[in-house]
Amino acid sequence: MLKYFRIKQQPDKVVPDLGAISLSMLERDATLPFTIRQLNNLPEAIKHRLYRGLVPSSLLTRFGIDPIQWRGANKEMLVFIKADPETEKVLITAQSTSDPNDEFFALELSDNSLNGIELNLIMLNDPTAPRYSIDYNEEGQPTLFGTLRRNLKAEEDAKQAGLAPGQVRAGLNASRMVFEHIEAFLAMLGHRAYFLEPLTYASAWVFERRGFAYVRGHKLMDDIHREFQTGGALFKGLGGGSAFRKLDQASTVRGRAWAIHDGILDVLDVRWDKIRMVKQIGRHAGVETFPKAIY
Amino acid sequence: MAETFRIARAAHLEALEDFRAFIKVHCAGKNGINDEVLYDLQLAVDEACTNIITHGYNDMDPGSIILDLEFARDQVLITITDFGHSFEPGNAPTPDIHAPIEERKESGFGIFFIQQSVDHMDYKVTEDGNKLILTKILK
Repeated sequence: MLKYFRIKQQPDKVVPDLGAISLSMLERDATLPFTIRQLNNLPEAIKHRLYRGLVPSSLLTRFGIDPIQWRGANKEMLVFIKADPETEKVLITAQSTSDPNDEFFALELSDNSLNGIELNLIMLNDPTAPRYSIDYNEEGQPTLFGTLRRNLKAEEDAKQAGLAPGQVRAGLNASRMVFEHIEAFLAMLGHRAYFLEPLTYASAWVFERRGFAYVRGHKLMDDIHREFQTGGALFKGLGGGSAFRKLDQASTVRGRAWAIHDGILDVLDVRWDKIRMVKQIGRHAGVETFPKAIY
Repeated sequence: MAETFRIARAAHLEALEDFRAFIKVHCAGKNGINDEVLYDLQLAVDEACTNIITHGYNDMDPGSIILDLEFARDQVLITITDFGHSFEPGNAPTPDIHAPIEERKESGFGIFFIQQSVDHMDYKVTEDGNKLILTKILK
């Protein structure tokens, strides 16, 4: 029984820094987690077999892509994987045609400093939906999805079309299926959790619905919800001339997300940059910071 | 099969009231849980969560505390999960509750109260969070 606690100054690594995956390692302990770096150091064919589990087959066949060979009807390669040896990242992208603008799936996982898993990127776009160039400004410079620079005209059009900040196209309604695949893959590796930093308020809300909890920022999400109520500080910041701060935005996830993207959190003297979320494998945290929300 | 319930709240003192109410609601009518047991469970969770709020999430925008309540045949199991700084057991002595009040140390009583309220306490730091597991045997 513990008699006393004190703060641990240095967190332990989730997985020790082990070398290449060997047969004896596989035979010894099925619960020892593997890192992305270890997978990336495997021979190409083995690596591809393993990473194939991250892409839902039904998503590929929806676009006429062979789920094993990753080729389209004309035998062109349409799914790409970047998982170089001696790196700790894997990026998988899929596109519906040979035009990279028709990318509909992008997923990047990496090891973090404790050898846990980070979900750096997940993008599920409907390639048949209209595209809004929120990712480049009018001078053609990348905006990093509106976080570095903004293309206000494209953002306004995207907002009008019902998109959330950071979206270039409408989604595929496939996030539940993709998360199930990510979890199955990570459970296969032996991990019990993974982490991410949501780009926007809307994505944080989606991740809550998918069962994520907060490492940082749960209270901020509660504060945001409270202050968007009638009379709250964020509610009072709506109205006026800005296309991104209309009064009716307080009552929807997307509306709030656009106002936050537009910088309304200045009212609370906080920024949207320190939110960190965690998903326990196989468990739904039950977090709900915007009860009965309308998306 | 054990019956389980879960609640998640931001690590903030306002959450303590929600946790107390959650325990009360789910303990109502359960065999072996009288007012004294209910009070013990609420006190243990109160102290543990206060510790997490004040120390575990110190210096960070508070994240979540997840409370799992599990009713087995002859025991109640409470698992409190957080994602803040973890703790580690030290060798500090149990506070002397018989010492004159001016000689008592300010800290260390939270854990003492938890120990007095439950039959077993375990603490694990895992990939999916810091977990304090409290067991109360039902007589």
